[in-house]
Amino acid sequence: MNEIMIQLITGMLGSLGFALLFGLKKQYLIVAALGGLLNWGLYLFGMHWWNAIFFAGLLASASSALYSEIMARVKKAPSTLFFITSVIPLIPGRALYYTCSNAVMRNWEEAKSYANITLQYALSIAAGACIIWAITLTIDNIKNNKKIN
Amino acid sequence: MTLTKAEEYKLLHLLLDMGEMMMCSGGEVRRVENTLSLMGKAYGATETDVMVITASIIVTMKFGDGNLITESRRVESPGSNKLWRLEGLNALSRKCCESPLPIEELELEIKSCKQPANLWKFYLGSALAAGAFAVFFGGNILDGIIAAVFALLVCFFQRKISNIFPNNIIFNIVCSFVVGVLICMATRFIPTTHTDMVIIGVIMLLIPGIAFTNSMRDILVGDTISGLMRLIESLLWAAGLAVGFMLAILLVGGIAI
Repeated sequence: MNEIMIQLITGMLGSLGFALLFGLKKQYLIVAALGGLLNWGLYLFGMHWWNAIFFAGLLASASSALYSEIMARVKKAPSTLFFITSVIPLIPGRALYYTCSNAVMRNWEEAKSYANITLQYALSIAAGACIIWAITLTIDNIKNNKKIN
Repeated sequence: MTLTKAEEYKLLHLLLDMGEMMMCSGGEVRRVENTLSLMGKAYGATETDVMVITASIIVTMKFGDGNLITESRRVESPGSNKLWRLEGLNALSRKCCESPLPIEELELEIKSCKQPANLWKFYLGSALAAGAFAVFFGGNILDGIIAAVFALLVCFFQRKISNIFPNNIIFNIVCSFVVGVLICMATRFIPTTHTDMVIIGVIMLLIPGIAFTNSMRDILVGDTISGLMRLIESLLWAAGLAVGFMLAILLVGGIAI
């Protein structure tokens, strides 16, 4: 439980740090931090439920994409701003590092399993976001068509 | 709004400035194409054809007086993390689509979007992000503090020396090698710290997250060539930083081999 709290808090701080680094406006900082919290919270929830990195990542990434699309419409700003800052905890920095360090030490089995994990995270981010984008782009097109007709 | 011929040329040039700046501050291809077409329409062009791929922009505009003009632009360094510029340009284009600004004013507004990074935010944000992620991935508080300190060094490199390297891959290799060696030495002399956790914190800063995300979005909406260019670029950047850190570890022997 303690570990989960630490992860949630540091994940949120990490998102906040990236929002600062990307120079977002003051009123967006809290949006980014909450996005990071939501992202990692849902990932942990998914891991608890399915115990599969890909599906937990998919849930977290899709919800971040949805969150950022909603925020983009509310705040009238590009959704990229909110998506990137909130999806950051999912980026497999640790898995990537251990893939390489095990390869350097010639622990091929370990390296393979970490490479597998890295790939699962990356694919889950891509797949989750693409599902939401496909839906929102379709809705946008329907709206535009109505306007034209 | 009707423009004189000179103003039409000026507008086209400004639109390319705008598109280039968007490409260089984390905008996707589709966003740039849409923004420029809408801007053209707002300024009274009867047709605006915009073609953007990661490395170049071509815009052709046709005005009511039959004047047909084209300009192209080579985009030198697409994909960086200056997201505040993207935000400013987005707000500007919204404003112009509602009621177009006079050309001189538009030029000033675009220039004002090109403000440099807020250094205080840049350094603080990097330190906070690296420190938080070192702890997030399982390090202790001391690991977080050391990662934050080295994050400042990475930022310094990004600001001061990144432009002397021929490309971002080589910069990533050199930067992560130098930082990696220093981290290995620091963690060896400071007890209860973990080399791997500090490095992972710093890696999070260098991973090309924006380029990767945009590449997926480009591919999804059908800009396949641009998306693949960005995707391969971002994978090479990630490989560059992996190579740099691994060389550092091999050199210092931070891990027993």
